[in-house]
This record gives sequence, C-alpha cells and structure tokens, in this order.
Amino acid sequence: MNRSLAWRGAMILVLVAAAAWSAWPLEEKISLGLDLRGGMHLVLAVEVEDALRAETEKAMQRVVDLGLDAGITDLRGERLSDTSFRVSGFAAGEPALIDDDLTAEHGDDWSRVFSGDTLRFEMSAGNADQIRNLSVQQALETIRNRVDAYGVAEPVIQRIGMGENRILVQLPGVEDPERVRELIKSTAFLELRLVAEGFPQGGADTEAAALAVYGGTLPQDTELFEQLVQDETSGALLGRRYYVLEKRQVITGRDVRNARPGAGQFNEPVVLFQLTREGGQRFGEITGANEGRFLAIVLDGHVISAPRINDRITDSGQIEGGFTYQEAEDLSTKLRSGALPAGITYLEERTVGPSLGRDSIDQGLRAGIIGFGLVILTMLVVYKGAGINAILALVLNIIFLFGALAFLRATLTLPGIAGIILTIGMAVDANVLIFERIREELRVGRTVKSAVESGFGKALSSILDANITTLIAALFLFQFGTGPIRGFAVTLIVGIVASVFTAVVVSRWIFDLILSRRQRVEKLSI
Amino acid sequence: MEFLNDTQIDFMKYRKVCMVVSVVFVLLGIAALFSHQRLNLGIDFAGGTQMTLKFKEDPDVQGLRETLASAGLGDAQIQRFGEEGAHEVIIKTPVIKGSEEGSVDLVTAALDADFGGAADGLDLNRVGSAELAQVLAARDPDGVAGGAVEQEEDRVLVHYQQVADAILEVRREDGLIQDLDQLDRAEGLTEETLTAVRELSSLSDYSVLAVENVGPQIGRELSVRGILAVVLSLIGMLAYIWLRFELRYGVGAVAAVFHDTLVCLGLFALFDFEFNLTTIASFLTLVGYSVNDTVVVFDRVRENLRKNRRQPLVDVLNESLNQTLSRTVLTSGTTLLVVATLLFYGGDVLRGFAFVLTIGIVVGTYSSIYVASPVALLWEQLFGAEARSRRKIARRKAA
Repeated sequence: MNRSLAWRGAMILVLVAAAAWSAWPLEEKISLGLDLRGGMHLVLAVEVEDALRAETEKAMQRVVDLGLDAGITDLRGERLSDTSFRVSGFAAGEPALIDDDLTAEHGDDWSRVFSGDTLRFEMSAGNADQIRNLSVQQALETIRNRVDAYGVAEPVIQRIGMGENRILVQLPGVEDPERVRELIKSTAFLELRLVAEGFPQGGADTEAAALAVYGGTLPQDTELFEQLVQDETSGALLGRRYYVLEKRQVITGRDVRNARPGAGQFNEPVVLFQLTREGGQRFGEITGANEGRFLAIVLDGHVISAPRINDRITDSGQIEGGFTYQEAEDLSTKLRSGALPAGITYLEERTVGPSLGRDSIDQGLRAGIIGFGLVILTMLVVYKGAGINAILALVLNIIFLFGALAFLRATLTLPGIAGIILTIGMAVDANVLIFERIREELRVGRTVKSAVESGFGKALSSILDANITTLIAALFLFQFGTGPIRGFAVTLIVGIVASVFTAVVVSRWIFDLILSRRQRVEKLSI
Repeated sequence: MEFLNDTQIDFMKYRKVCMVVSVVFVLLGIAALFSHQRLNLGIDFAGGTQMTLKFKEDPDVQGLRETLASAGLGDAQIQRFGEEGAHEVIIKTPVIKGSEEGSVDLVTAALDADFGGAADGLDLNRVGSAELAQVLAARDPDGVAGGAVEQEEDRVLVHYQQVADAILEVRREDGLIQDLDQLDRAEGLTEETLTAVRELSSLSDYSVLAVENVGPQIGRELSVRGILAVVLSLIGMLAYIWLRFELRYGVGAVAAVFHDTLVCLGLFALFDFEFNLTTIASFLTLVGYSVNDTVVVFDRVRENLRKNRRQPLVDVLNESLNQTLSRTVLTSGTTLLVVATLLFYGGDVLRGFAFVLTIGIVVGTYSSIYVASPVALLWEQLFGAEARSRRKIARRKAA
C-alpha cells in the first residue's frame, strides 16, 4: 500500500468516526422538529397600537390634571389618533400657566401647538418607536414568565423580524394546546372596582334591567360591565349578567405582588393574592370606608365576581369565581406574570399532537428502509463487485448526513426525512456517472488501471455541474423557506455535499485500494 | 449486468414528433391549471384553518358537513385522511374576513355539541398531564399521602404526575382514547387509580391531532417568499449554466425546465393535490433534478465537440445522448425507486411531494432527451454561426 492510499484511508476513517460520534445516539443528537415530536408553533403579533393609545390617554389626563393644579377648570381632552390628542377650553393666557410644567414633563416626547382655545399634542416618532419596542419587549417577558410557569422543556420565545412586533413561540410536547393558547393570549388585566351605590347583589339579568335600577341612565362616573356565567366543569357559556361599577379603579394588577392558587371556605379553588405596600394602603383605606358595599373583581373587562366587603382588607385577598383547579392556577400565573401591555393576535399556529408525529416517523422510516433496500439491490445487479463500492459509499453518505445534521444542530422535520430518502436515490448518481465512464473506457480497450483513472477524471466535471445546479436550488429553498421546508433544504444540501464527497473521494479510494493489491489487474468486476 | 451500452439510437430523428408531443403536453398542463379544477391552494398560501381530527367511529362526512354548516362554517372542506380504519379527517375552513385567528374555536365548539361525549368530568382526550396529576392528587386513590404534612404535597404530586404521564402515553400512541379499557396498557397504574380515573373522567368521541392556522397576513408573506424562492433559484441555475456552457444549451435547459414544471403542475392540479409549502419544495427539487439531468448530457456534448469540431451538432447530440443513456436510465431508475416508495409508503402528508417527484423524474428524463437537446439544436439552426452566414449571403443576394 502506498503512502497516499494510507493517508486518504486514515482521513476517511477519521471523518466517518467523527460523523458517527457526532450523531450517536441518534435519539439524543438529532433534534426533531415540532411536526415530528409534536408541539405548538405560534407566531403572534403584539398590538402595539394598544400601548400607544394607552400612553396617549395617560398623557391627555395628565395635561388636564396639570391644568386643574394651575387653577384652569373646564378643560376637555379628546384623543385624535393613537398618537395625538387635544385639550380645549383654555382662556387667553392660560396655556402659559402650564407651559413650563409641560416642557419639563414632556421633553422631546410630545410636541404641542396652540390655536384658538385648544392645545394639540403630537407624540414624537422617537417616543412612539420606543413605546412600541418596549411593549413588544414587555409582552415577550410576560409570555416567557407564563410559559415558564406552565412548564415546557426547551421553549423558544423570541422576537422575529427586524423592528417588528412579532413574537415566535415554539413549545415542544404541549398536550393541552387550548389551555396554552388562552394562557399566552389573555391580557390578564385585573381591576377591582366598587359596585355602584345601590346596585343589588348578584347583578341584573339584562342591560336594561341594570339601567332600570337608576331610572334608565347610568349615574355619573359609572360604567356597565358584563359577567359571563360559565359551567364550572365544562366551561360552556350559560348566560350573562350585568353590573354597574364605579369608574374608579381601587386596585389594578400592577398592585399585585404575588398570587397563588388556594382553597376557599368550602375547599373550592380560589386565587389568593398579596398586594404591594402602596396598593395595600390604598386598598385598606377604600375597603375600610366602604364596608358593606360590593367590590367587583374585573378581569379583562369582564366581572369575575362581586363579593361584599365585610371588613377592612389591607394587604391580601382572594378571588372566588367558580374556578377549576387549572383555572385558579392559570389565573395566578397570569397575575404573577403581570398584564400584557397590549393585546395579542395569533397570526400563525401549527400544532401537532405526538401521535401524528410518531406516525410520520414510522412511515418515513419504512419508506426509507424500503427505498434503501431497492437501491442496494439495483446497484448490486447492475455493477456486481463495484456495486458493493457504491453501497459502501451510500452507507457512509448516510452516516455523514446524520453527522452533519447533528453537528449543525439542524432540526429534522418530515420534509427533511423526505430529503434524506431522496438523497438515498440521488446519491448513487455520482457513482453511476463514474462507473459508466469506467465501463466505456474499458470497452475501448484500456487497462483497468487507466480506465479507473480516466473514468474518475472525466466524470468529475459532470458530477460537479450536476450537483452544483441542484445545490443552487436547495440554497434558495433554505434562504426563503420556513420551518419544515428549511429542514428539507438542509438535508438536501448536506446530502448533495456528502454524496459528491463519498463518490469522488471514498469510491476512488476503494478502487485504488483494490487495484494496489495486485500488480496487474486483468478484470474489474463492474 | 451491462445494459444500454453502445446503443446507436437516432434520437434526433424523432425530434419533430416529440416536439409536437411536448408542446401538446405543456398546453394540456396549462389548460388543467386554468380549467375549473385549478390549483388547490393550501392554507399556507390562501390562509385559513386546517384541523386533523380523529373520531371514535368512522365519521359520516355528510353529517360532519351539516354540523359545521350549522355553526356558520358551510364552506368547510372535509377530506378523509390517514390509513383505512383510522377514522381521521381533515377539516379545512377558509379565512374569516377581517380576522387573523381563524376558526379553531368555532370548529371545536360545533363538534363538541355532537361528539363531546359526557360533559362532566375531565376529558381524557384533551386534558394536560399537569392538570390530570393535580386532580388525581386531590383524590389520592393510591393513598400516597401519609399525614397532612406540608412536604407530603410534593411527593404526592410527583407520584400522580407519573401516573398522569402513563395515562397520557396511551393517548400519545393512539391519538384518541376510545375506551377506558385502553388504559389497562398504561404502566404502573393501580386498580384504585383506574377506578378513580373511571369516576373522574369522561371521553369525548373525537380528538384534535393537529391544528394549523395561517392568517391572511402570513399567507401573503409565504406566497411572496415561495415565488421568490422559485424565481431566484431558476435565475441562479440558469446563470450557472450560462457561465459554464454556451447560450444555446442554456436555452435548451430552460425549455426543459419549463416543460417539466408545467406538465407536472398540470397533472398536480388534475389529481387535485393540495399546493402548499412542501409542494414548493418538491417543485424546486424537480427543477434541480431536471437541470441536473440535462447538464450531464450537455457536459458530454461539450466534451465531444472539443474532440471533433467538424461533426454536425445533430450527430454530436445523438452520440452524447447514447453515451449518457445508461447513466440517465440508471440514475432516474434509482431515484424513481425511492420516490415511488415514498409515494406508496410515505404517508398522506408527503404524498403530494412524492407525486411531483415521481412524475417529475419520468418527465424530466424524457425532457433532457427530447426537449433540451432539440431546442438547443433549433437555436443553433436559427441563430448559430451557419445560420448567420446563410442569412448574410441571402441579404447580399437580395441587395
């Protein structure tokens, strides 16, 4: 055996060993895509306009308050768009009274123009961008907290796209997608409000009946709220009830320091919460002053329950609402993780249960094994001895393929499996090109050695041209493909590279090895 | 076994007949695309909701349709799915105008009314393992909790988490728990736990195996990306061929690619397969394969031309096609073997993908012989050096 042969042999051996080591054991080293292992893939959009609107409302209220402090009454605020509002009712000279305060407070965040009796405010682009960005970031954190509390192994939660309001959430192995969908999406904005004075316990059956308590019109500073009455086990909607509540929020979710599920008076699931110091103080004052009245617990705009205030409550309380264990736990999670700064819309969802993924793996494996067997059979029948060479190249090809997938931490998807199977069929092409060329050279009467030599030499250009064109298609597929399709592109790319390598290097080495054994080779089994 | 060596087939003799056949097939393909069948666009591009469901009993498609129609989902498409006896269907509903979130809730609500089973108790076909574990721990049928010590709580929960996982493993395997007797298979369940599960739980008559919802916004983006991927990879491949070969071969390869794509697309529409992201992948692979096949022939043509510059192009083409014939047939053969296996054994999800490639390989092999080469020849006859000098002479004569 000459030196070059030994070197090449050693190199091939090292590569095969590295590939095998990197990919073994397969179950641990190759990560399966959600379509094979089951799980949820969600793309959601944060409705950043919600956050802008809230900020605008807040700024508007603040201007009116500043006016009051400066002794300007009768100011009326009106929101014009998500990022602008106007405050009217100024008498001549009055705007100057709050001008310094506004400048100090707003800085570059708002610009203002005075005309007639009206100050018009416009949010600066920079401020708007910052609020958008912040609200997406906050939403991301909130969702991460909720997912962590739910408990998923290896979740992916990240912003996608440049400066966009999108978040990608991938949760492998989720078994109750309905619950997760709700857990992530709900804003979880908690408010505690006093039920309007004189309103009966338990709410009213209809909107009209609720208003009738006050002679048909809402009293000042109150709002109408709905309660959805649900069946306690199935969650089916049984009916609606209506409440008139004060506009003032006694406590909001921001005042909640901690929340956990617990058992109520009759051992029913409830949510226990603790308030921050500041929140507890306020809560204590208001509950102390309103003993005997009803306090409504409002979540995302719906009344959950409205118990009577029996005593002054300071730093902790409980929410009863006919919850199941799971609901109590989820609500605690949401209260702990805080409210989402803005609403969320699901743009894309792909959820696959584990049974479907297992079926796919089984079918892919079966098709792969059958296909592999058929290809081996064909190569043996057509090329006899050299067929073994091609088969060896094919086996190494598959080892390299899995090695590279593991090394690149690529995810194997169902289309990816199809890509591997396709590779099995196409990988022999390079060998076929070479073998046919060798046969041709033998036919024109060359010696075995020179036939092998020139067969490899002449086939090389065809092999490269043919594979580079396919590679180009696969690269674009990778660039523009999403999810499972990327998995296909990856296996195709890796498969192409591996097949060229095994044909040009490994096959060549095997031929050379066989030929070097004997001084004169009369016949080649091909 | 050697076969197809030293063949002397005069391929180019039949080129005119085959050109006509090719053109007819391409036209038929285009016609199929624009006939009433059209392309069945999947939710990846059209947007919409697709749910894969498994039922306890073989679902009556007409009945399902009525159930959905009563929920305002009259335009839902219902297809059978999976193997015989799997009782699985796919329900597809189009985008609801003005909404990104689709109709998952609507479909489940409608189905629950008819297939929800007993409404009381935990639905074992839907519950998560954490919740199941909590409910069981509260009941504690195995009596794990000794005293009422605080630390005990964790130990009890850990025990029932294992129990819940064992129960749900049955669901993970079967996709649907049809009968509580299936739970006998679950490992490590005591008789007491089984009794408790029987009391606490109920079984709906269907389960949701998969949900896919693509809002119109994402659907549009996926379409754009799909088109970009196809167009750019076509340009990339042709640029490569143009760089490596002469223009006439590039034209031949383009003609072959268009031929293959249109014929396959037509058949794809005719067989009413769904056009989705995986289909884009299959067509790009087909394009790559078609070019690959053509390139091998042209590579040989280039080599032969270098050897003998005086030989007419027709003869060189014929010679090259004959020389590469055994390779063409063998490679197409092995690739066909695997994609056909995928077509028959690869399952429903990959069927469209395997179909495109199966047809594509047959058509692609034909086209590398009878489309790419004749077109390259035609180009040479119309615009080649000889044609140019002939035209020059004719012009001189006219002058």
